Amino acid sequence: MSSWLDYTINGLIVGNVYALVAVGLALIFGVSRLINFAQGSIYLVGAYIGWVAVVQLHTPLPVTIIVVAVASALVGLIIERFGLRPLQNSVRIAPLLATIGISFVLDQLVMLTVSPNPRALPSQLPDIRFQIGGGTIGPLDLLIAGVGLASALLLFVFLRYSKLGWAVRATAQDRDAAMQMGVDVNRVNQAVFGIAAALGGVSGLLVGMYYNQIDTAMSLQATLKGVVAEVVGGAGNVPGAVIGSLLLGLVESYGVAVFGTSYRNLFAFLLLVVVLVLRPNGLFASARQAPPEPLTGTFIAPSRPVRIPRWALLVAAGLFAVLPFFPVSFYVLQTLINAWLLGMLALSLTLVAGTIGQVSLGHAALLAIGAYTSALLSLTFSAPVGLAIIGGGLMSAALGTALISPSFRLRGHYVSIATLAIGEIVSLVILNWESVTRGPIGISGIPPLSLFGYELISPISIYWFSFIVMVVLALLQGRLLGSHLGRSFRAIRDDDVAARAYGLSLNRYKSLAFIFGGFAAGVSGGIAAHLYSYINHETFNTQQSILALTVVILGGLGNVVGAILGAVALVGLPEVFRIAAEYRILIYGIVLLLLVRFRPQGLLGTI
Amino acid sequence: MAEQHTTMLSLRGLTRRFGGLTAVDAIDLDLARGELISIIGPNGAGKTTLFNLVTGLDRPDAGIVRFEGQDITGFSPERLAAAGIARTFQLGRVFGNLSVMDNVLIGAHTRLRAVKPAVPLIGPLLELGLALLRPASVKAEEERLREEVKVILARFGERLLPRIDQPAYSLSYANRRRVEIARALALKPRLLLLDEPTAGMNPTETAEMQGLVAELKAEGLTILLIEHKLEMVMRLSDRVIVMDEGKKIAEGPGEAVRKDPKVIEAYLGHGLTKEQESAA
Amino acid sequence: MSNIDRRTLVKASLSAMMAGAAFSRAAFAQSSEPILLGVSGPLTGPNAQYGTQWKQGFDLALDEIQAAGGINGRKLAYQFEDSQSDPRQSVAIAQKFVSDPRIVMELGDFSSPASMAASPIYQRGGLVQFGFTNSHPDFTKGGDFMWSTSVSQADEQPLLAAYAVKRLGLKKLAVLHLNTDWGRTSRDHFVKAAKEYGAEVAVTEGYIAEERDFRSTLVRVRDASPDGLILISYYSDGALIARQARQVGLKQTICAASSVYSPKFLELGGEAVEDVHLGTRYFPEDPRPEVQKFIAGFKKKYNGQEPDAFNAYSYDAMNMAAAVVRIGGTDRRAIRDAFAKVKDVSSVIFGQATFDVESRRVKGAMNAELVVRKGQFALWDGKPT
Repeated sequence: MSSWLDYTINGLIVGNVYALVAVGLALIFGVSRLINFAQGSIYLVGAYIGWVAVVQLHTPLPVTIIVVAVASALVGLIIERFGLRPLQNSVRIAPLLATIGISFVLDQLVMLTVSPNPRALPSQLPDIRFQIGGGTIGPLDLLIAGVGLASALLLFVFLRYSKLGWAVRATAQDRDAAMQMGVDVNRVNQAVFGIAAALGGVSGLLVGMYYNQIDTAMSLQATLKGVVAEVVGGAGNVPGAVIGSLLLGLVESYGVAVFGTSYRNLFAFLLLVVVLVLRPNGLFASARQAPPEPLTGTFIAPSRPVRIPRWALLVAAGLFAVLPFFPVSFYVLQTLINAWLLGMLALSLTLVAGTIGQVSLGHAALLAIGAYTSALLSLTFSAPVGLAIIGGGLMSAALGTALISPSFRLRGHYVSIATLAIGEIVSLVILNWESVTRGPIGISGIPPLSLFGYELISPISIYWFSFIVMVVLALLQGRLLGSHLGRSFRAIRDDDVAARAYGLSLNRYKSLAFIFGGFAAGVSGGIAAHLYSYINHETFNTQQSILALTVVILGGLGNVVGAILGAVALVGLPEVFRIAAEYRILIYGIVLLLLVRFRPQGLLGTI
Repeated sequence: MAEQHTTMLSLRGLTRRFGGLTAVDAIDLDLARGELISIIGPNGAGKTTLFNLVTGLDRPDAGIVRFEGQDITGFSPERLAAAGIARTFQLGRVFGNLSVMDNVLIGAHTRLRAVKPAVPLIGPLLELGLALLRPASVKAEEERLREEVKVILARFGERLLPRIDQPAYSLSYANRRRVEIARALALKPRLLLLDEPTAGMNPTETAEMQGLVAELKAEGLTILLIEHKLEMVMRLSDRVIVMDEGKKIAEGPGEAVRKDPKVIEAYLGHGLTKEQESAA
Repeated sequence: MSNIDRRTLVKASLSAMMAGAAFSRAAFAQSSEPILLGVSGPLTGPNAQYGTQWKQGFDLALDEIQAAGGINGRKLAYQFEDSQSDPRQSVAIAQKFVSDPRIVMELGDFSSPASMAASPIYQRGGLVQFGFTNSHPDFTKGGDFMWSTSVSQADEQPLLAAYAVKRLGLKKLAVLHLNTDWGRTSRDHFVKAAKEYGAEVAVTEGYIAEERDFRSTLVRVRDASPDGLILISYYSDGALIARQARQVGLKQTICAASSVYSPKFLELGGEAVEDVHLGTRYFPEDPRPEVQKFIAGFKKKYNGQEPDAFNAYSYDAMNMAAAVVRIGGTDRRAIRDAFAKVKDVSSVIFGQATFDVESRRVKGAMNAELVVRKGQFALWDGKPT
């Protein structure tokens, strides 16, 4: 019995930590309807500024907090002014991508300045422990809880009773109306970003002290947990974010209690998916609200796609097909093989995210399903590799669609959050389902690619194989887009309300898009498995999903040729930037930001 | 029994609340086959919410919707579209990135047969297969519908036909409204709900639109119309229903309704806009 | 194009390339350019810290090698390619190294997915992949070009189990391990050995690398009422667990795997890691000259910084590479064969290192039983804590 008290207390303590990030996210979402993926990076920056203050300058705690808050707020203001404000009249997906780009840039800047080694960030509070149940809590626990609750309370008062707070709420409800009423929306955004960033920075500092450890990899985890907590509490709802965080902490803690430590995040993400499916507006939203106005043409950039003449495509395909006859190095071929594999994933994602508008952040899960299926089919059942890969594609299509189907009723950013969670769930199931997936040990000795008994071992034959598979998938997808299904998918993307009013079932067509797209992604994963000969749960990670999305945006949403072009560019560029070594991810982030700013419809335009 | 045959749409006690606000308050309405009823009322009177309830985009808290004698309360919009109910939207919801042709073809979606075999369970997969393989029957159906679309677009003279391959986002506001109506017509509706079809149109365009609606009515189409331009309402409507704050405050032939003191009160009380004043 | 035609073409173009490569390699052997090793490892991304530590160890070893006259008069150098420990990038790097005639041997990658995805390319390309941190039991099964100085966990974990069970007298153990291929393999070997030595394993808990909060895990541990905690961790997560264990009032003996051996463990763990026991491959007071040379040289080169386990791995790996190249020259096959020939290479981790030709790993790691005393690593004096 006492153990349950301990699990509860531990859950609340961790929830407390999550709340600090979640409140900042909720505030920003409340005003700009934006999930700020850079919040974790501000948290990282805050932690390191705090480290400089504490370890180098020996500031006392109150001064440290003020320094961190002010410096982080400045970072927030810079992000708002130069990263997001120029995108104000842009499509709604643009700021989301911009925050991802900003987080790359901030994380890399911190890493380059202070080196990626973890650092100790000693607590400046006396080390007194209070016995509660079987465990203890210290002054830092209380301080974190105090800061979390106080900031939520202050925000509540600020939003309710101050003039600027009133403006913030008005802007949150109806930006245009607020503008007409004379609200300076830019000032509101500045205020909100400043406050949220200050809060994010201070939370990084406190959490760093709490664990006596900060490192540059902490930003993504902070963002993930913060986003989960925020969405569970109801996006944009500040008190909801606090309660959502505590709930998340509790669910994780009880999950550990019942199933063990390695199931912890599984429960976090399951909670998110369940809440999104049952209460898409969060636990604390009123059940029935007016149906939201459509995002017609605002989530996806309207554009006239660049028309590439058929002969040019044929020439390009022909050139790539005969490339191995020229004296190119295997390194170039291998890089292009990677591009073709990423291209298949991008084809899949451009259909799902671009053509039917389900911006998925968990697409790597489809790769993983295809890879594991194909690897296991060939190893356990000695299936010929060619058939195993097709089996991987089919499994990805079926299982992927089934897993993602609960999110079919969601819209906009919620789809991205749900798919992100589903991606994490797939990876965690692979980690824990040891009897099938061999858990963390992974699957080794996967047979190499072969076709009709003829092993494809040389880079040239693998090059041709992957190129041909990708071209076939691209042609099929082109044919699909030219059919009534292409039309129907795009209609659902542009306005799902109007589409339903004309008899288009969202479930049916979203399923079909995921089935087709899942197959392409599964095939890509299957080929990768046989190419690498070894896979484990880390082979297909969140970074892959984000990379694929960047490819799709770069090429132009829904654009088949664009997806392939984007894949070649994003596999090729980092290789070209190899000379820049440590700086290349920084460059990548900046390129992404510039792209979102100056060509949000992608290189070849949305189709 | 006779009433059953002539009544196409009937609403009884239809109610929808948002928090403390009752947007649609116990509305009764009977629409006979071939009839055109206009719903007027100040902004926020609940007209569009009423449309949403009839077309399944929103569910009522109380009341019943009957279509051709069948209780369709709470049916999904997809199902209602298949039953022959088509609507346009107040804010002009065209599919921005789709061409004019594709927008109108979406209207014909419920009439696709060859490519959507009515096979249970694997129907969707067959649809995917047929879309990729495109046998002759599928091609023929698509061609036939494309021809039909051109005929529908020809109703708008030279407004849309020259722009048939342009994306809808590039069209003028008035042309987007026309595309919406063309899309609704492609469904071959039994009941057409028009939500302010002339909003934002100049007098010439309004006159054209009025002519078109009159034409549709003459062809026997049953129409429910939300409109602010009273002159048009008076010309076209068999009956007029006035809503205010969710309630039906008057119903009857246009002229009678117009003189109803409650109606005048509702309009004056909410402040008459210049446009409505001059139109009235 | 028929199948046969294409195959002929492939072969033709392949042999043309090989010929080109061979030609340039022959020309190269005469030059006084440095002998080049390829390194594939993380310099950015979540594992960037380890790549940075590798570099420190490599550079120190290279300084010493050049000072001693290089390899038969030629300098030894490395080309570090950032893979982010991502299999997609490590395979491209593998092709790059394989097709670059200047590269005589490859070192890395860091993680198993990245290393083992590249193995088929190195194997087919005939370039040694020297995975000096790859403990995955299947790594060297990738082919006869895969060699590793990563201590086999089958060797290491029984030593740790012996320390915990036989020497410290722990009878009921709770094992916390990183849920990676390394942590999982280690756990299995540890549990097997501990049971053989007569201890009971009450609970095992795997956690993911990003985990920071272990309070609830520690409640599970407490409920199993063990008399000792075993940490199969890296230094950062190991420090976190030790801190939180002490905070929630667990006072049991903690015994950790050698991978926590880092000054960072002391820095991050603070008072909580006092009295933590660990088995290591070397320790500062070790009188062996190679250890003293390494520690002194490292501190001198890096402003007094204490080296850690990853610095030592990479330092040893570079020295081993030098020893192999001394025997094998610059021919890739000869280098592979040289791995079987090198004998008793001085190393920090293994003492006198020799490869086991069967497993292609180095046999029998050195083992020192350390304990943290007054914030420093010290040889355990046999006194209970």
